[in-house]
Amino acid sequence: MGRLGYAFLYLCLGIIALFQVFPIVWLFLFSLKDNSEIFSGSPFALPTEFRWENYQKVWEGGIGVYFFNSVWITGLAIILTVLLASMATFAITRMNWKLNKFVLGLFMVGLMIPIHSALIPLFNMFLNVNLIDNPLSIVITYTAYNLPITMMILLGFYYTLPREIEEAAIIDGCSINRLFFRIILPMTAPVISTTVIINMIYNWNEFVFVNTFISSDEYKTLTVGIQNFIGQYMTDWGAIGATLIISIIPILLAFIFFSNKVVEGISSSAVKG
Amino acid sequence: MNKVMSNKLVIALYVLPALLLVGVLIFIPLILSGYYGLMEWDGIGAMKFIGLENYSNAIRDLKFWDSAWHSLLLAIFSTLSLVIYLAISMILASKIKGSDLLRKIYLIPMLLSSVAIAQLWIKVFNPTNGMLNSILMSLGVDSPPAWLAEPKFVLFAIFVPILWQYAGFYILIYYAALKNIPGSLIEAARIDGASAFQIAYKIKLPLIMGVVKVTIVLAIVGSLKYFDLIYVMTGGGPNGASEVMASYMYKLAFASNDFGYGSAIGFLLLVITLIVTVIIRKLTATKEEIQY
Amino acid sequence: MRNKKAITSLVAIFALLLFAAGCSGSDDESSASGSDDAKTIKFMHLWPEGSSKDHYEIVNEIIASFEEENPDVKVDLEVLSNEQYKDKLKVLSSSDQLPDVGMTWPAGFLEPYVDGNMFTPLNDILEDGLQDQFVSGTTEAYQVDGKTYGLPLELNIATVFYNKKIFEENNVEAPKTYEELKNVISTLKDNGVAPIALGNKDRWTGSLWYMYLADRIGGADVLNSAIDRSGSFEDPALTEAAAKVQELVDMGAFIKGFNGLADQEAKSMFMNGQAAMYLIATWDLPNYTTNEDVPQEFRDSVGYFNFPTVGGNGDMTSFVGGPGVGLFVSEDSEVKEEAKAFVKYFAEQWGEKSVTQAGVIPATKVNSEEVELPDLYLDVLNDLNSASNITLFADVQMSPDVAQVHLDQIQALFGGEVSPEEFTKKHEEALASEE
Repeated sequence: MGRLGYAFLYLCLGIIALFQVFPIVWLFLFSLKDNSEIFSGSPFALPTEFRWENYQKVWEGGIGVYFFNSVWITGLAIILTVLLASMATFAITRMNWKLNKFVLGLFMVGLMIPIHSALIPLFNMFLNVNLIDNPLSIVITYTAYNLPITMMILLGFYYTLPREIEEAAIIDGCSINRLFFRIILPMTAPVISTTVIINMIYNWNEFVFVNTFISSDEYKTLTVGIQNFIGQYMTDWGAIGATLIISIIPILLAFIFFSNKVVEGISSSAVKG
Repeated sequence: MNKVMSNKLVIALYVLPALLLVGVLIFIPLILSGYYGLMEWDGIGAMKFIGLENYSNAIRDLKFWDSAWHSLLLAIFSTLSLVIYLAISMILASKIKGSDLLRKIYLIPMLLSSVAIAQLWIKVFNPTNGMLNSILMSLGVDSPPAWLAEPKFVLFAIFVPILWQYAGFYILIYYAALKNIPGSLIEAARIDGASAFQIAYKIKLPLIMGVVKVTIVLAIVGSLKYFDLIYVMTGGGPNGASEVMASYMYKLAFASNDFGYGSAIGFLLLVITLIVTVIIRKLTATKEEIQY
Repeated sequence: MRNKKAITSLVAIFALLLFAAGCSGSDDESSASGSDDAKTIKFMHLWPEGSSKDHYEIVNEIIASFEEENPDVKVDLEVLSNEQYKDKLKVLSSSDQLPDVGMTWPAGFLEPYVDGNMFTPLNDILEDGLQDQFVSGTTEAYQVDGKTYGLPLELNIATVFYNKKIFEENNVEAPKTYEELKNVISTLKDNGVAPIALGNKDRWTGSLWYMYLADRIGGADVLNSAIDRSGSFEDPALTEAAAKVQELVDMGAFIKGFNGLADQEAKSMFMNGQAAMYLIATWDLPNYTTNEDVPQEFRDSVGYFNFPTVGGNGDMTSFVGGPGVGLFVSEDSEVKEEAKAFVKYFAEQWGEKSVTQAGVIPATKVNSEEVELPDLYLDVLNDLNSASNITLFADVQMSPDVAQVHLDQIQALFGGEVSPEEFTKKHEEALASEE
């Protein structure tokens, strides 16, 4: 490619990049405005007056507890999902048994359920085992509903793992657990980082399940903090913007961390491979 | 080797926890919703068994088929847009300067919740002071359309933010897949004098084909049950012009108090998704690899 | 060896999950069994602190004083936003888990819950004097077969709010007839002002316009009798009202893209002086009177007029409106007596507090001489007192199923996708199928 070609490429990439950064800038400006500015002015106009009180309002709304709940519920669900999905994918793609295609098919069907048809049955089930208003119901629901998609993503990578590695390990007398936890899991670190990012975003932003299964304030998560500003006839959009900005910071940081892992993991596993 | 890799106990141990969770929390509700579909039930009072009436009504329900068509259109567009995401990922994964930073920036919108994305795009599409129409008017378009209000535009207008919302998701997956390709293969091809385009098409693409097929399934399944932005931005309107299967189901079950019928629609949504997925898998399957 | 280790660790994880589940279970039981000395009323409402601070605080005040007067009763709150509230109520009722006290809407929303034996009749608490405190016609909206299942908290009527400054600048006056309204619209349009703010994505907003036209053309009963099936929706007046809607749309009365705009977007156009008129119910009054976040200049320039007469017909003191949310007590409540005492107490306390502190027009009578209120409120209260009729919002009157048809048809009518005849025919079909 010539110099001109590169210049053009970078121009395109730069324009797309601007386009992708806009939402955050917009959201930040949004969070400092009041309703009338939000609806009437240009979306990228600076607020006439920086309404930091939106953040104060959000803080006084008791966001601290929600924040803490979001962190641990998201975290625990991610660990469970990624671990269980990796194990199942490993057994399905690398081990020899008859029903593996069928079981994989079952997981795939799990992708297809619209959550609103599951809401009432799930509520009933949790009610029967006394898990309503218990954060555990949220953790296991997130885990179950993210398992299929996580497995699908892992799948493509597991198929590309060279068989020789397993063979060598087994011949060396390595047990399956050791093979899985010590060799396969580290090798799939890049794709695991990918699934962690995806799970994190899903769990962090989810609110239908939380709203339905949880009723005590002490167990609610950040997305519920948004609901706090939606009124019967009026909605405080500035405060919602502030909540969104606060809630995006931790996942932005986690995202950057795991996004680096996607690359690091690859180079380290490439050395081994 | 074979003996170790077919240890039934280990297989059970590895698969059952996940299967149990999915079985209990997804399959039981799924079966129950199929069962509620056989009932006349407002979700409040007593249930009355009416056999397949809800299902036969649904099959004759033009609104349902409209919404199914809209969902299918979304699935087609989502699948087509994978090409763009793949191209962007290829550029980002190649060794150009600044690709690391660019990649992170490109994925930012994906972190936003649907609430934020909906608000942003409502402002983009605002008929009088929205960004899109401001640009169009400055380009000399006299009376640009009110995108979310006109039945002939609304569906396509709303596809844009949906596709944009998911761009990061697919770029992330493709990027990881591309980085997984051993550098030695690409180096060898380059020494043989292959151009960047040839390397992409002849070497990289076949190597990540497995991942691409997975993303096709994900795009289709995700589109067919898509709900979020449509519900917030248009509520399926005007008059059903942007209704999709999931929003139609939700309205029936939760707004019209027709939980039995809504459940039947939800179950049909699953059946349709299943059929489309099977067809796609058949179409994309190659001889040596009919694996997933 | 390794296998065993993996098995034990997995078993441990599951045991932990079960243990946690078991723990919470026993927790719940102990709190339930602990109710010997203190009874707990679960109360769900839809006024979150963030968006409805005044309402939220009044509720807390009332609860605090109730608990003080009844030391053995505790009120446990759950607050959700409007949409989430409706969805959750649905899920809870499907599993017979309604809170002891909650909020309901009248008529069409309430009926399925009554049919399913979910709400308990409140006639006994209304009998000893409480009934007289309500504005007549409000509790009736919560009646099914002669029993009252909800205590209304608000009463709203829809009126056309307008920007007096814009009207002055364009030399137009508040219209009294449909012809005058059309003149106002065309004058404003000629001067480049958007006449009417309408956010018809929400659909009930357009329904208000249709309902008023129907009321003026066909009288106060024509819509009601079409819905309660003593009449027909194919009444010529209802078709003509639909035609009038399209006439207004065709002359460009409404802001551009109204079918894709939410009510709040339309409202903000009105509040920013980008549109001259806005038909909304009186729950919006605080924005035009007491809300300090709205510029004083704008608040001073807002006036309202009653919907004009059409072709010489109609009574300008007939309104579209009705009670909003009301309190219900769950039929299966274990603390039913306490819950009833609580809703009674709540309704008694709510009236004066809500109008002075939150700008709500309550469903209980307000003595406008005793409380200090902005002029606009006094005018509205006067109108309410002299109202010849209040027609309940159509989408509230209808069963949820028919209401969805109505709302979709409203959008189609405004969008010019159906003719007035098709519009009424669709309604008639939907209503007839439920008979």
